[in-house]
Amino acid sequence: MKKKILLVEDEKALCLLYEEELSREGYAVTAVIDAETALAELGKTAFDLIVTDIRMPGMNGIELITRIMGLRKDIPIIINSAYQSYKEDFMTWAADAYVVKSASLDELKAKIKQLMGE
Amino acid sequence: MMSELRKDLVSGRWVIIATERSKRPDDFLPSGGTARAAEPVGFCPFCEGNETKTPPEVFALRAAGTAADSPGWKVRVVPNKFPALNRGTPPLKPTGGVFQWMEGTGVHEVVIENPNHALELSDLPVAHIRDVFQVFQQRITSIEEELHYQYVQLFKNKGKEAGASLSHPHSQIIATPIVPKRIKEKIYGADRLFRNFKECAFCRILQEEEAAGARQIARNRHFSVIAPYASRFPFEMAIYPLRHSPFFKDVREDELLTLAETMKAVLTRLKETVGDPPYNMVLHHAPNPSLSLEGWPEIEKNFHWHLEIFPILTKVAGFEWGTGFYINPVPPETAAKFLRQP
Repeated sequence: MKKKILLVEDEKALCLLYEEELSREGYAVTAVIDAETALAELGKTAFDLIVTDIRMPGMNGIELITRIMGLRKDIPIIINSAYQSYKEDFMTWAADAYVVKSASLDELKAKIKQLMGE
Repeated sequence: MMSELRKDLVSGRWVIIATERSKRPDDFLPSGGTARAAEPVGFCPFCEGNETKTPPEVFALRAAGTAADSPGWKVRVVPNKFPALNRGTPPLKPTGGVFQWMEGTGVHEVVIENPNHALELSDLPVAHIRDVFQVFQQRITSIEEELHYQYVQLFKNKGKEAGASLSHPHSQIIATPIVPKRIKEKIYGADRLFRNFKECAFCRILQEEEAAGARQIARNRHFSVIAPYASRFPFEMAIYPLRHSPFFKDVREDELLTLAETMKAVLTRLKETVGDPPYNMVLHHAPNPSLSLEGWPEIEKNFHWHLEIFPILTKVAGFEWGTGFYINPVPPETAAKFLRQP
């Protein structure tokens, strides 16, 4: 059975690219463009991993992972942000990895594999 | 009365003490006049029970029989999960010509001061504060023994305005492969003054402050707390040991207990005076003695470790960034008067 990833990314083009690339890696990807929808999806599906952006309209990624901790502490979370500076916020420690966005998705894919125990 | 320009003896930094529009403690109280309560506790990676969300601890004071990275700790030290600097052997010198650079080696650790999110450093029993200081000493010693880092900076940011991203009480340690500029300024200043005074400039300042009395906030058998003559910030405080030593890690156990009492007292007074303000606390001590101190052969005689506490009650803006001058609307004599009062 395919492992399920929840992808939270507000830029639609990036969202599509990630969805396509991660699906090609064999994952079942649910891609959403805001944190509120992500929380709703979490109520419906038992995801194996979450990848989230930080800077998003409405609830940001840090608030989202804080909310997720109140629901499920065991789900691996990867922060995928274009900004290094959020690393200074200790609330990011609720996540298991912090991958800075780049043109290549190699680092993100490697982190996903590592956290999925593959 | 006109404002006054004052020079900090050791660093040479100038400050404008704006006496003509001097403010009172009440001017800084949060609206409503009450201290801010701790933010509601949601998820916090530093709280007891969430140990799996931090990297494995490098040191902890914990109850006998409790396993590492599990509940039961009193003070816990973990490396930064997403550090800006990574452990490693730094190069001997930076490379490059005009644009010098070196690999970002260093250590970044977080000292979680207690398991309870809502208990500030000043709320803890004196013995617990002493334990926190002992942990600082242990970490400084251990990092210095790695022989890679010239300077170990201990600091605390309390409150968002002071740079804290999380309200769970914690301090941070960042060790760098070079001695930072601000420390060098103090070392060079202390060295120059030592040759003038034939004694440690900090010891001399303490004698003068004791004689004057106007800026002394507290004094006990081991420590003196003063509002520095050229304070940059309203209600700035400096804690100096009376026994001359350049190294914080050399503070003895009995002195640490007094330091804890002193710290609790001044932080409590600060809270009572200006309503639990955000603050930064920094330790200034001599660079790593495990590495060569040959650049500063007399540092053991002329440097004197101390702690600085600056409440964040004013904004550092264009003038300060542009000039290195600070404008302080509360003369240190006024600050000391209010901080002294029981």
